[in-house]
Amino acid sequence: MELTQLTEAIKTGNRKAAGLLTQEAIDAGVEPKAILNSLIEGMDDIGARFQKNEVFVPEMLIAARAMKESMVILEPLLVAAGIRPEFTALIGTVQGDLHDIGKNLVAMMWKGANFNVIDLGTNVPPERFVAAAREHNPQIIGLSALLTTTMPSMKSTIDELKAAGLSNAKIVIGGAPITQAFANQIGADAFAPDAASAVEVARKLVGSQSTAVLA
Amino acid sequence: MMRKVRMTGCERVSRMIERKDQDCIPRMESFWNDTLKRWRTEGMVDDPNVIVGNDFQGLCWSEPFPFPGQDIVTSEDADTVTKRDAWGQINRYWKFREGTPEHVAFPCETKEDWFDVIKPRLLAKGPSVDLKGAEWALRLARRQGRWCHLTGLETFEMTRHLLGDENTMIAMIEDPEYLIDVSRTMTDLVLSDFEYLLANGIEADGVWIYGDMAYRSGLLCGPPLYRELVWPDHQRMAQWAHDRNMPFVFHTDGDVNSVIEDYIKAGFDVLQPLEAKAGMDVRRLCPAVGDRLAFIGNCDVMIYATNDRDAIEEEVRSKIEAGKSTKGYGYHSDHSVPPSVSYETYCFVVDLVDKYGNYD
Repeated sequence: MELTQLTEAIKTGNRKAAGLLTQEAIDAGVEPKAILNSLIEGMDDIGARFQKNEVFVPEMLIAARAMKESMVILEPLLVAAGIRPEFTALIGTVQGDLHDIGKNLVAMMWKGANFNVIDLGTNVPPERFVAAAREHNPQIIGLSALLTTTMPSMKSTIDELKAAGLSNAKIVIGGAPITQAFANQIGADAFAPDAASAVEVARKLVGSQSTAVLA
Repeated sequence: MMRKVRMTGCERVSRMIERKDQDCIPRMESFWNDTLKRWRTEGMVDDPNVIVGNDFQGLCWSEPFPFPGQDIVTSEDADTVTKRDAWGQINRYWKFREGTPEHVAFPCETKEDWFDVIKPRLLAKGPSVDLKGAEWALRLARRQGRWCHLTGLETFEMTRHLLGDENTMIAMIEDPEYLIDVSRTMTDLVLSDFEYLLANGIEADGVWIYGDMAYRSGLLCGPPLYRELVWPDHQRMAQWAHDRNMPFVFHTDGDVNSVIEDYIKAGFDVLQPLEAKAGMDVRRLCPAVGDRLAFIGNCDVMIYATNDRDAIEEEVRSKIEAGKSTKGYGYHSDHSVPPSVSYETYCFVVDLVDKYGNYD
């Protein structure tokens, strides 16, 4: 069975078609891993077009929702086959900041790129990042801040992660007031200006360029 | 150098919008409350509007709530309180300081919520503006010589208050008719608030509409959906103002470079505050479109927050000089002045606006 239609359903955010085509592919005996790769290919396309200003947040949202629809059906088969995301990412809005839109978009895109995403929510104190990093052993930790006043919390979080000996995880920061210069200044590993870039940045940091991670 | 004042604020702003000669650039500022708290500990005694020399006066705030006065605490902990507000939103706020709240739930989780509950409530209620307050503000504006404006929210902002970001943007693609119904209804309500004030003797020099359309990388919904679904109501608001001989000022944060021409086509006269960290820059915009659109703002608060005087002077000088080249520019920072800016630094900023803001 051709999976191009399924990839297309993700690209166009057609949730109903995504669910139906996923089930059809399963019924036709297509390998779960191949189905997953076709979903990721669709999300990658949306991410690339987002970065080129060809699509925008609404298109990204409906694509992610279509992928979620497919994953509800596909996930039990992936688990049964012992196929798990290769990489884990922690994400949270830093202490003092209750803003969650940017953080949610990044989490959505990372899930779409088949990262196992642990979302710690908003107003996350450094010690919660440390505890969660110990528990989940992530390769990526994403820190979000909307306000200039909460930017210092990013530095204290990074300092505590390093002090706890968790510097193996790569730290990506983002949010309205954040710049590459600030990321350099506080010792973050990378800065992502938007949700689609966050996928590219995270893949680069873990040494994976594309869906080849699952090949 | 002192500010050379030979005109009232009202004259100055009106002439700025018409690109006529002025004594100096108009000015205004926005501050976080925490900033003012800090400055009071650092010696600020005056009203910050006096320090800046504010030339503007809002007369009202039109925000048509479906549940006027509602402010119900649903839960709280040591640091935060979660409340259901007049929009019907459930938000989590800091108890002891300012900050953007966490949005927990919205009144229109489904289309039926809008058609069966929220829309009928909105259409059944009276004006959302305070006539007595507008009368008081008008007297103050005339006494102080300020340019006074009817103020309210624009439709995309109000739709997001009702549906939430995710539902709004998904509906823009999947159910545009629904979005249009919300947008038209909310725009009508704001304009009917303004009509009510005018019918009751309130005189205004302009209309100022607030709505954050964008973030640092561009329009939240993207230009095509903006043009199709939101722009018609923006044009309608601007036309309403122009039909009453009032200019139209639009506030949005974020990067709106991609729709500047659409704003001009809709009839916007002034854009404010031009968030520098999102790539807005009057040094580029004034030569490009300054003859068709005036600007207020763009001085980068992130640079103020460095408290580096050389960098601040270059920022304020270069932005004001670019703005003055078209005569269509007023001073404001590019957002709200944050508490990381000291009072001493801000007084230096005001000195710079005095120094560079005169026209002769």
